[in-house]
Amino acid sequence: MSSHVSAIGLGRYGKRPESLVDLAAEAANLALEGIGRKPIDLLVVGSMMAYGPHGPEALLPRLASRLGLEAAQGLRVDSASGTGGMAFHAAAIALESGRFQRALVIAAEKMTDRTTAVITRALAASLHSSEVAAGATMPALAGLITQRYLDRFGYTTSICDRASIHARAMAVDNPTAHFQKAVTASEVQASRAVALPLRLLHCSAISDGATALILERGQGPATVLGLGQAFDALRLVDRDDLTTFGATRLAAERAYEGARLSPKQVQVVEVHDAFSPFVYQHIEDIGLCARGEGPRYFESGAARRDGKVPVNPSGGVIGRGHPVAASGLAEVAEVALQLRGEADRHAIARRPKVGLAQAMSGLATHNFVTILGAAG
Amino acid sequence: MTDRADELSLSRCGACHARFLPNDGPCPRCGSKEVETFLSPPLGVVLAATEVTSPAEGWRPPHRLALVELPQSVRVLAIVEGEVPISGTVVSVRRDGDVYRAKPEPGAMRP
Repeated sequence: MSSHVSAIGLGRYGKRPESLVDLAAEAANLALEGIGRKPIDLLVVGSMMAYGPHGPEALLPRLASRLGLEAAQGLRVDSASGTGGMAFHAAAIALESGRFQRALVIAAEKMTDRTTAVITRALAASLHSSEVAAGATMPALAGLITQRYLDRFGYTTSICDRASIHARAMAVDNPTAHFQKAVTASEVQASRAVALPLRLLHCSAISDGATALILERGQGPATVLGLGQAFDALRLVDRDDLTTFGATRLAAERAYEGARLSPKQVQVVEVHDAFSPFVYQHIEDIGLCARGEGPRYFESGAARRDGKVPVNPSGGVIGRGHPVAASGLAEVAEVALQLRGEADRHAIARRPKVGLAQAMSGLATHNFVTILGAAG
Repeated sequence: MTDRADELSLSRCGACHARFLPNDGPCPRCGSKEVETFLSPPLGVVLAATEVTSPAEGWRPPHRLALVELPQSVRVLAIVEGEVPISGTVVSVRRDGDVYRAKPEPGAMRP
Protein backbone atom coordinates (compact mmCIF):
# COMPACT_ATOMS: atom_id res chain seq x y z
CA MET A 1 0.00 0.00 0.00
CA SER A 2 1.76 3.14 -1.12
CA SER A 3 1.92 6.44 0.72
CA HIS A 4 3.23 9.85 -0.22
CA VAL A 5 4.20 13.16 1.34
CA SER A 6 1.37 15.56 0.53
CA ALA A 7 2.36 18.63 2.56
CA ILE A 8 5.35 19.96 4.46
CA GLY A 9 5.42 22.37 7.41
CA LEU A 10 8.71 24.03 8.19
CA GLY A 11 9.26 26.27 11.17
CA ARG A 12 12.38 28.39 11.24
CA TYR A 13 15.37 26.75 12.96
CA GLY A 14 17.59 28.76 15.28
CA LYS A 15 17.39 30.36 18.68
CA ARG A 16 13.65 30.67 19.22
CA PRO A 17 11.84 32.07 22.27
CA GLU A 18 8.89 29.66 21.95
CA SER A 19 8.39 26.45 23.92
CA LEU A 20 8.77 22.96 22.47
CA VAL A 21 4.99 22.56 22.10
CA ASP A 22 4.66 25.96 20.41
CA LEU A 23 7.41 25.13 17.92
CA ALA A 24 5.90 21.73 17.16
CA ALA A 25 2.42 23.22 16.75
CA GLU A 26 3.70 25.94 14.42
CA ALA A 27 5.22 23.40 12.01
CA ALA A 28 2.21 21.09 12.37
CA ASN A 29 -0.26 23.86 11.53
CA LEU A 30 1.70 24.78 8.41
CA ALA A 31 1.52 21.16 7.25
CA LEU A 32 -2.18 20.88 8.11
CA GLU A 33 -2.95 24.06 6.17
CA GLY A 34 -1.13 22.52 3.22
CA ILE A 35 -3.85 19.83 2.95
CA GLY A 36 -6.75 22.16 3.77
CA ARG A 37 -7.04 20.60 7.25
CA LYS A 38 -8.32 17.28 5.98
CA PRO A 39 -8.82 14.70 8.77
CA ILE A 40 -5.76 13.09 10.37
CA ASP A 41 -6.05 9.65 11.92
CA LEU A 42 -2.47 9.12 13.04
CA LEU A 43 -0.16 11.50 14.89
CA VAL A 44 3.52 10.52 15.12
CA VAL A 45 5.74 12.71 17.27
CA GLY A 46 9.47 12.51 17.83
CA SER A 47 11.63 14.39 20.29
CA MET A 48 14.82 13.39 22.05
CA MET A 49 14.74 15.83 24.96
CA ALA A 50 11.05 16.56 25.42
CA TYR A 51 11.38 19.09 28.18
CA GLY A 52 8.99 21.96 28.70
CA PRO A 53 9.17 24.89 31.10
CA HIS A 54 8.16 22.61 34.00
CA GLY A 55 10.15 19.50 33.18
CA PRO A 56 9.46 16.42 31.06
CA GLU A 57 6.69 17.06 28.56
CA ALA A 58 3.91 14.55 27.75
CA LEU A 59 4.32 15.63 24.18
CA LEU A 60 1.89 13.36 22.38
CA PRO A 61 -1.35 14.10 24.29
CA ARG A 62 -0.37 17.74 24.63
CA LEU A 63 0.00 18.12 20.87
CA ALA A 64 -3.13 16.08 20.13
CA SER A 65 -5.04 18.47 22.34
CA ARG A 66 -3.37 21.59 20.98
CA LEU A 67 -3.99 20.59 17.36
CA GLY A 68 -7.52 19.30 17.90
CA LEU A 69 -6.53 15.76 16.96
CA GLU A 70 -8.01 13.90 19.92
CA ALA A 71 -9.88 11.64 17.50
CA ALA A 72 -6.62 10.39 15.99
CA GLN A 73 -4.27 7.72 17.35
CA GLY A 74 -0.68 8.43 18.31
CA LEU A 75 2.86 7.10 18.45
CA ARG A 76 5.85 8.74 20.11
CA VAL A 77 9.31 7.73 18.93
CA ASP A 78 12.84 8.42 20.09
CA SER A 79 16.11 7.45 18.49
CA ALA A 80 18.45 10.24 19.58
CA SER A 81 19.49 12.38 16.60
CA GLY A 82 17.86 9.90 14.23
CA THR A 83 14.43 10.47 15.79
CA GLY A 84 13.02 12.40 12.83
CA GLY A 85 14.00 9.62 10.44
CA MET A 86 12.42 7.08 12.75
CA ALA A 87 9.22 9.15 13.06
CA PHE A 88 8.83 9.11 9.28
CA HIS A 89 9.50 5.37 9.07
CA ALA A 90 7.04 4.66 11.89
CA ALA A 91 4.32 6.61 10.07
CA ALA A 92 5.07 4.94 6.72
CA ILE A 93 5.01 1.46 8.24
CA ALA A 94 1.76 2.25 10.09
CA LEU A 95 0.11 3.45 6.84
CA GLU A 96 1.39 0.37 5.05
CA SER A 97 -0.53 -1.77 7.56
CA GLY A 98 -3.75 -0.36 6.13
CA ARG A 99 -5.00 0.80 9.54
CA PHE A 100 -4.59 4.51 8.81
CA GLN A 101 -5.39 6.94 6.02
CA ARG A 102 -3.40 10.06 6.79
CA ALA A 103 -0.61 10.77 9.27
CA LEU A 104 0.79 14.00 10.68
CA VAL A 105 4.47 13.46 11.50
CA ILE A 106 6.19 15.99 13.75
CA ALA A 107 9.76 16.09 15.00
CA ALA A 108 10.79 18.88 17.34
CA GLU A 109 13.49 19.90 19.76
CA LYS A 110 14.02 22.76 22.17
CA MET A 111 17.68 23.14 23.11
CA THR A 112 18.81 26.73 23.48
CA ASP A 113 17.23 27.15 26.91
CA ARG A 114 19.88 24.83 28.36
CA THR A 115 23.64 25.16 28.79
CA THR A 116 26.10 23.56 26.38
CA ALA A 117 27.25 21.29 29.23
CA VAL A 118 23.72 19.98 29.75
CA ILE A 119 23.24 19.42 26.01
CA THR A 120 26.63 17.70 25.67
CA ARG A 121 25.69 15.34 28.50
CA ALA A 122 22.31 14.61 26.91
CA LEU A 123 23.93 13.83 23.54
CA ALA A 124 26.53 11.61 25.22
CA ALA A 125 23.65 9.38 26.38
CA SER A 126 23.84 7.76 22.95
CA LEU A 127 27.51 6.79 23.45
CA HIS A 128 28.83 3.66 25.18
CA SER A 129 29.29 4.14 28.93
CA SER A 130 32.97 3.17 28.73
CA GLU A 131 33.56 5.99 26.23
CA VAL A 132 31.92 8.58 28.47
CA ALA A 133 33.91 7.20 31.45
CA ALA A 134 37.10 7.91 29.49
CA GLY A 135 36.02 11.54 29.03
CA ALA A 136 34.79 11.16 25.45
CA THR A 137 31.98 13.28 24.06
CA MET A 138 30.22 13.11 20.69
CA PRO A 139 32.62 15.66 19.11
CA ALA A 140 35.63 13.82 20.62
CA LEU A 141 34.71 10.55 18.90
CA ALA A 142 33.75 12.40 15.72
CA GLY A 143 37.21 13.99 15.81
CA LEU A 144 38.84 10.56 16.02
CA ILE A 145 36.73 9.25 13.13
CA THR A 146 37.59 12.30 11.03
CA GLN A 147 41.33 11.98 11.76
CA ARG A 148 41.18 8.33 10.71
CA TYR A 149 39.44 9.28 7.46
CA LEU A 150 42.04 11.97 6.67
CA ASP A 151 44.94 9.57 7.33
CA ARG A 152 43.41 6.61 5.51
CA PHE A 153 42.66 8.49 2.31
CA GLY A 154 45.50 11.04 2.47
CA TYR A 155 43.52 14.28 2.85
CA THR A 156 44.24 17.43 4.87
CA THR A 157 41.81 19.31 7.11
CA SER A 158 40.96 21.55 4.14
CA ILE A 159 38.34 18.96 3.13
CA CYS A 160 36.60 19.54 6.48
CA ASP A 161 36.57 23.27 5.80
CA ARG A 162 35.20 22.74 2.29
CA ALA A 163 32.30 20.70 3.70
CA SER A 164 31.39 23.49 6.13
CA ILE A 165 31.65 26.12 3.38
CA HIS A 166 29.30 24.10 1.14
CA ALA A 167 26.75 23.63 3.93
CA ARG A 168 26.69 27.27 4.93
CA ALA A 169 26.51 28.45 1.29
CA MET A 170 23.47 26.22 0.70
CA ALA A 171 21.77 27.45 3.89
CA VAL A 172 21.89 31.06 2.69
CA ASP A 173 19.15 30.18 0.18
CA ASN A 174 17.01 28.37 2.74
CA PRO A 175 14.85 30.86 4.67
CA THR A 176 14.16 28.40 7.52
CA ALA A 177 17.85 27.57 8.14
CA HIS A 178 19.51 28.64 11.38
CA PHE A 179 22.50 30.12 9.53
CA GLN A 180 21.90 32.74 6.88
CA LYS A 181 25.51 33.77 6.29
CA ALA A 182 28.18 31.98 4.27
CA VAL A 183 31.60 31.24 5.78
CA THR A 184 35.11 31.27 4.32
CA ALA A 185 37.95 28.80 4.84
CA SER A 186 39.82 31.29 7.00
CA GLU A 187 36.75 31.80 9.22
CA VAL A 188 36.40 28.05 9.66
CA GLN A 189 40.11 27.67 10.46
CA ALA A 190 39.96 30.58 12.91
CA SER A 191 37.05 29.08 14.87
CA ARG A 192 38.03 27.51 18.18
CA ALA A 193 39.25 23.93 18.43
CA VAL A 194 36.62 21.49 19.73
CA ALA A 195 38.27 18.11 19.14
CA LEU A 196 40.97 18.56 16.51
CA PRO A 197 40.83 18.20 13.58
CA LEU A 198 37.28 19.41 14.31
CA ARG A 199 36.75 23.10 15.03
CA LEU A 200 33.56 24.87 16.05
CA LEU A 201 32.45 25.59 12.47
CA HIS A 202 32.84 21.89 11.58
CA CYS A 203 30.31 21.01 14.29
CA SER A 204 26.53 21.32 14.18
CA ALA A 205 24.96 24.05 16.28
CA ILE A 206 22.58 23.86 19.20
CA SER A 207 19.24 24.97 17.72
CA ASP A 208 15.52 25.02 18.42
CA GLY A 209 13.14 23.93 15.72
CA ALA A 210 10.42 21.67 14.41
CA THR A 211 9.48 20.08 11.11
CA ALA A 212 6.18 18.47 10.25
CA LEU A 213 4.77 16.72 7.22
CA ILE A 214 1.68 14.89 6.10
CA LEU A 215 2.07 11.33 4.88
CA GLU A 216 -1.04 9.86 3.31
CA ARG A 217 -2.16 6.88 1.30
CA GLY A 218 -1.79 7.10 -2.43
CA GLN A 219 0.86 8.32 -4.84
CA GLY A 220 2.42 11.62 -5.76
CA PRO A 221 5.79 13.09 -6.68
CA ALA A 222 7.09 12.23 -3.16
CA THR A 223 5.86 8.64 -2.82
CA VAL A 224 7.67 6.39 -0.34
CA LEU A 225 9.70 4.04 -2.54
CA GLY A 226 12.08 2.50 -0.05
CA LEU A 227 12.81 2.45 3.68
CA GLY A 228 15.85 0.98 5.39
CA GLN A 229 17.30 1.16 8.85
CA ALA A 230 20.17 -0.60 10.59
CA PHE A 231 22.23 -0.72 13.78
CA ASP A 232 25.98 -0.73 14.28
CA ALA A 233 28.11 -1.57 17.33
CA LEU A 234 27.52 1.02 20.03
CA ARG A 235 31.15 0.93 21.16
CA LEU A 236 33.39 2.49 18.54
CA VAL A 237 36.24 0.05 19.19
CA ASP A 238 34.00 -2.84 18.17
CA ARG A 239 33.68 -1.53 14.59
CA ASP A 240 36.07 -2.93 11.99
CA ASP A 241 36.39 0.20 9.90
CA LEU A 242 36.01 3.76 11.18
CA THR A 243 36.06 5.37 7.74
CA THR A 244 32.61 4.07 6.82
CA PHE A 245 29.33 3.87 8.72
CA GLY A 246 28.07 0.30 8.54
CA ALA A 247 24.60 1.32 9.72
CA THR A 248 24.18 3.63 6.71
CA ARG A 249 25.50 1.07 4.24
CA LEU A 250 23.09 -1.59 5.46
CA ALA A 251 20.15 0.81 5.78
CA ALA A 252 20.81 2.05 2.22
CA GLU A 253 21.08 -1.48 0.89
CA ARG A 254 17.70 -2.30 2.46
CA ALA A 255 16.10 0.88 1.12
CA TYR A 256 17.44 0.38 -2.42
CA GLU A 257 16.26 -3.22 -2.39
CA GLY A 258 12.77 -2.18 -1.27
CA ALA A 259 12.64 0.55 -3.91
CA ARG A 260 14.14 -1.72 -6.61
CA LEU A 261 16.49 1.14 -7.42
CA SER A 262 20.24 1.55 -7.57
CA PRO A 263 22.30 4.51 -6.28
CA LYS A 264 22.70 5.63 -9.92
CA GLN A 265 19.01 6.53 -10.07
CA VAL A 266 19.07 8.95 -7.13
CA GLN A 267 18.98 12.62 -8.21
CA VAL A 268 19.19 14.55 -4.91
CA VAL A 269 20.33 13.59 -1.42
CA GLU A 270 20.11 14.99 2.09
CA VAL A 271 22.54 13.40 4.54
CA HIS A 272 23.18 13.86 8.24
CA ASP A 273 26.33 15.99 8.49
CA ALA A 274 26.28 16.52 12.26
CA PHE A 275 30.03 17.10 11.78
CA SER A 276 30.77 18.58 8.37
CA PRO A 277 33.33 16.01 7.12
CA PHE A 278 30.82 13.21 7.80
CA VAL A 279 29.12 14.33 4.59
CA TYR A 280 31.88 12.49 2.66
CA GLN A 281 31.42 9.19 4.47
CA HIS A 282 27.65 9.48 4.08
CA ILE A 283 27.65 10.01 0.31
CA GLU A 284 30.13 7.14 -0.06
CA ASP A 285 27.99 4.90 2.16
CA ILE A 286 24.82 5.54 0.14
CA GLY A 287 26.74 4.77 -3.06
CA LEU A 288 26.98 8.21 -4.66
CA CYS A 289 30.72 7.70 -5.12
CA ALA A 290 33.45 5.20 -4.21
CA ARG A 291 35.13 4.93 -0.78
CA GLY A 292 37.50 7.83 -0.15
CA GLU A 293 36.16 9.74 -3.18
CA GLY A 294 33.70 11.99 -1.28
CA PRO A 295 36.02 15.00 -1.14
CA ARG A 296 36.77 14.71 -4.89
CA TYR A 297 33.04 14.49 -5.59
CA PHE A 298 32.62 17.85 -3.85
CA GLU A 299 35.74 19.29 -5.48
CA SER A 300 34.35 18.50 -8.93
CA GLY A 301 31.23 20.56 -8.25
CA ALA A 302 28.95 17.50 -8.38
CA ALA A 303 27.44 18.28 -4.96
CA ARG A 304 26.24 21.77 -5.95
CA ARG A 305 22.64 22.56 -6.84
CA ASP A 306 23.57 22.39 -10.52
CA GLY A 307 25.85 19.37 -10.02
CA LYS A 308 25.49 15.69 -10.94
CA VAL A 309 23.60 14.75 -7.75
CA PRO A 310 23.23 17.73 -5.43
CA VAL A 311 24.06 17.08 -1.75
CA ASN A 312 22.23 18.83 1.11
CA PRO A 313 20.63 21.68 -0.88
CA SER A 314 18.89 22.72 2.37
CA GLY A 315 22.22 23.46 4.04
CA GLY A 316 22.31 20.11 5.82
CA VAL A 317 22.62 19.79 9.56
CA ILE A 318 25.57 22.21 9.60
CA GLY A 319 23.76 24.98 7.74
CA ARG A 320 20.16 24.33 8.78
CA GLY A 321 21.00 24.01 12.48
CA HIS A 322 20.52 20.89 14.56
CA PRO A 323 17.45 20.61 16.77
CA VAL A 324 18.49 16.97 17.16
CA ALA A 325 15.22 15.08 16.81
CA ALA A 326 13.96 17.37 14.05
CA SER A 327 16.96 17.02 11.73
CA GLY A 328 16.09 13.53 10.48
CA LEU A 329 12.62 14.69 9.43
CA ALA A 330 14.00 17.91 7.92
CA GLU A 331 16.13 15.71 5.65
CA VAL A 332 13.06 13.83 4.41
CA ALA A 333 11.12 17.11 4.13
CA GLU A 334 13.83 18.69 1.97
CA VAL A 335 13.84 15.76 -0.43
CA ALA A 336 10.03 15.93 -0.59
CA LEU A 337 10.15 19.69 -1.32
CA GLN A 338 12.62 19.12 -4.16
CA LEU A 339 10.51 16.32 -5.64
CA ARG A 340 7.31 18.35 -5.35
CA GLY A 341 8.89 21.40 -6.94
CA GLU A 342 8.32 23.46 -3.80
CA ALA A 343 11.93 24.15 -2.78
CA ASP A 344 11.79 27.70 -4.11
CA ARG A 345 15.16 29.46 -3.72
CA HIS A 346 16.93 26.25 -2.63
CA ALA A 347 15.53 24.18 -5.52
CA ILE A 348 18.17 22.21 -7.41
CA ALA A 349 18.79 23.03 -11.06
CA ARG A 350 16.64 20.20 -12.47
CA ARG A 351 13.58 19.02 -10.61
CA PRO A 352 14.39 15.44 -9.48
CA LYS A 353 12.25 12.31 -9.77
CA VAL A 354 14.02 10.29 -7.06
CA GLY A 355 15.66 11.52 -3.86
CA LEU A 356 17.24 9.98 -0.78
CA ALA A 357 17.39 11.14 2.85
CA GLN A 358 19.72 9.66 5.45
CA ALA A 359 19.42 10.20 9.21
CA MET A 360 21.89 9.18 11.87
CA SER A 361 21.38 8.34 15.54
CA GLY A 362 24.21 9.02 17.93
CA LEU A 363 27.52 8.18 16.33
CA ALA A 364 25.92 6.20 13.50
CA THR A 365 24.62 3.46 15.79
CA HIS A 366 21.12 3.44 14.29
CA ASN A 367 20.67 4.98 10.88
CA PHE A 368 17.69 5.50 8.59
CA VAL A 369 17.54 5.77 4.81
CA THR A 370 14.39 6.93 3.05
CA ILE A 371 13.93 6.94 -0.72
CA LEU A 372 11.11 9.06 -2.13
CA GLY A 373 10.08 9.62 -5.72
CA ALA A 374 7.46 9.43 -8.40
CA ALA A 375 6.00 5.90 -8.32
CA GLY A 376 6.28 3.59 -11.34
CA MET B 1 41.20 -4.21 38.07
CA THR B 2 44.73 -3.15 37.12
CA ASP B 3 46.79 -5.33 34.82
CA ARG B 4 50.49 -5.95 35.21
CA ALA B 5 52.47 -3.41 33.23
CA ASP B 6 53.76 -6.05 30.81
CA GLU B 7 50.43 -7.53 29.80
CA LEU B 8 46.83 -6.58 29.06
CA SER B 9 43.70 -8.73 29.54
CA LEU B 10 41.64 -8.99 26.37
CA SER B 11 38.61 -11.08 25.36
CA ARG B 12 38.17 -13.84 22.81
CA CYS B 13 34.86 -15.33 21.69
CA GLY B 14 34.73 -19.11 22.09
CA ALA B 15 32.12 -19.37 19.32
CA CYS B 16 33.28 -17.07 16.47
CA HIS B 17 36.86 -16.49 17.72
CA ALA B 18 36.55 -12.70 17.45
CA ARG B 19 38.98 -10.84 19.68
CA PHE B 20 37.79 -7.70 21.41
CA LEU B 21 38.20 -5.36 24.33
CA PRO B 22 36.56 -6.73 27.52
CA ASN B 23 33.01 -5.42 27.73
CA ASP B 24 31.25 -7.25 30.60
CA GLY B 25 28.82 -8.65 28.02
CA PRO B 26 28.47 -11.04 25.09
CA CYS B 27 30.65 -11.13 21.97
CA PRO B 28 29.96 -7.90 20.04
CA ARG B 29 30.17 -9.80 16.76
CA CYS B 30 28.01 -12.90 17.27
CA GLY B 31 26.35 -12.40 20.66
CA SER B 32 27.78 -15.59 22.19
CA LYS B 33 28.29 -15.53 25.96
CA GLU B 34 31.19 -17.94 25.63
CA VAL B 35 33.84 -15.30 26.24
CA GLU B 36 37.38 -16.16 27.39
CA THR B 37 40.17 -13.90 28.64
CA PHE B 38 43.63 -13.92 27.12
CA LEU B 39 46.74 -11.91 27.89
CA SER B 40 48.35 -9.70 25.29
CA PRO B 41 51.54 -7.65 25.18
CA PRO B 42 50.47 -4.09 26.04
CA LEU B 43 51.91 -2.34 23.00
CA GLY B 44 49.75 -0.85 20.27
CA VAL B 45 49.69 1.66 17.44
CA VAL B 46 47.71 4.92 17.46
CA LEU B 47 45.02 4.88 14.74
CA ALA B 48 43.80 8.40 15.55
CA ALA B 49 44.11 10.87 18.39
CA THR B 50 42.48 14.12 19.45
CA GLU B 51 42.48 16.76 22.14
CA VAL B 52 39.06 17.56 23.59
CA THR B 53 38.47 21.08 24.84
CA SER B 54 35.27 20.16 26.75
CA PRO B 55 35.60 16.56 27.94
CA ALA B 56 32.83 14.58 29.61
CA GLU B 57 32.09 15.14 33.29
CA GLY B 58 34.91 14.33 35.66
CA TRP B 59 37.73 15.31 33.31
CA ARG B 60 39.48 18.60 32.79
CA PRO B 61 40.83 20.02 29.54
CA PRO B 62 43.08 19.56 27.80
CA HIS B 63 41.95 15.94 27.60
CA ARG B 64 43.67 13.76 25.02
CA LEU B 65 42.20 10.57 23.65
CA ALA B 66 43.54 8.00 21.22
CA LEU B 67 42.11 5.03 19.39
CA VAL B 68 44.81 2.41 19.65
CA GLU B 69 45.12 -0.83 17.73
CA LEU B 70 46.52 -3.64 19.88
CA PRO B 71 47.80 -7.00 18.58
CA GLN B 72 45.19 -9.20 16.85
CA SER B 73 43.26 -6.10 15.75
CA VAL B 74 41.74 -5.41 19.17
CA ARG B 75 41.05 -1.70 19.55
CA VAL B 76 40.93 0.44 22.65
CA LEU B 77 39.96 4.03 23.42
CA ALA B 78 42.66 5.32 25.77
CA ILE B 79 43.48 8.51 27.62
CA VAL B 80 46.83 9.78 26.38
CA GLU B 81 49.54 10.77 28.81
CA GLY B 82 51.48 13.66 27.26
CA GLU B 83 51.01 15.44 23.93
CA VAL B 84 48.59 14.29 21.22
CA PRO B 85 50.43 11.52 19.36
CA ILE B 86 50.38 11.39 15.59
CA SER B 87 48.81 8.40 13.89
CA GLY B 88 51.19 5.45 13.79
CA THR B 89 52.89 6.24 17.12
CA VAL B 90 53.68 3.14 19.20
CA VAL B 91 52.17 3.37 22.69
CA SER B 92 51.98 1.17 25.77
CA VAL B 93 48.46 0.72 27.14
CA ARG B 94 47.47 -0.07 30.71
CA ARG B 95 44.16 -0.46 32.43
CA ASP B 96 43.48 1.95 35.26
CA GLY B 97 40.19 1.13 36.95
CA ASP B 98 37.39 1.87 34.45
CA VAL B 99 39.64 3.45 31.83
CA TYR B 100 42.69 2.70 29.73
CA ARG B 101 45.76 4.91 29.51
CA ALA B 102 48.24 5.14 26.66
CA LYS B 103 51.82 6.37 26.82
CA PRO B 104 54.03 6.94 23.77
CA GLU B 105 56.98 4.52 23.64
CA PRO B 106 59.41 6.17 21.23
CA GLY B 107 61.98 3.37 21.48
CA ALA B 108 59.57 0.46 21.13
CA MET B 109 59.23 -1.69 18.02
CA ARG B 110 55.92 -1.65 16.19
CA PRO B 111 53.97 -4.61 17.60
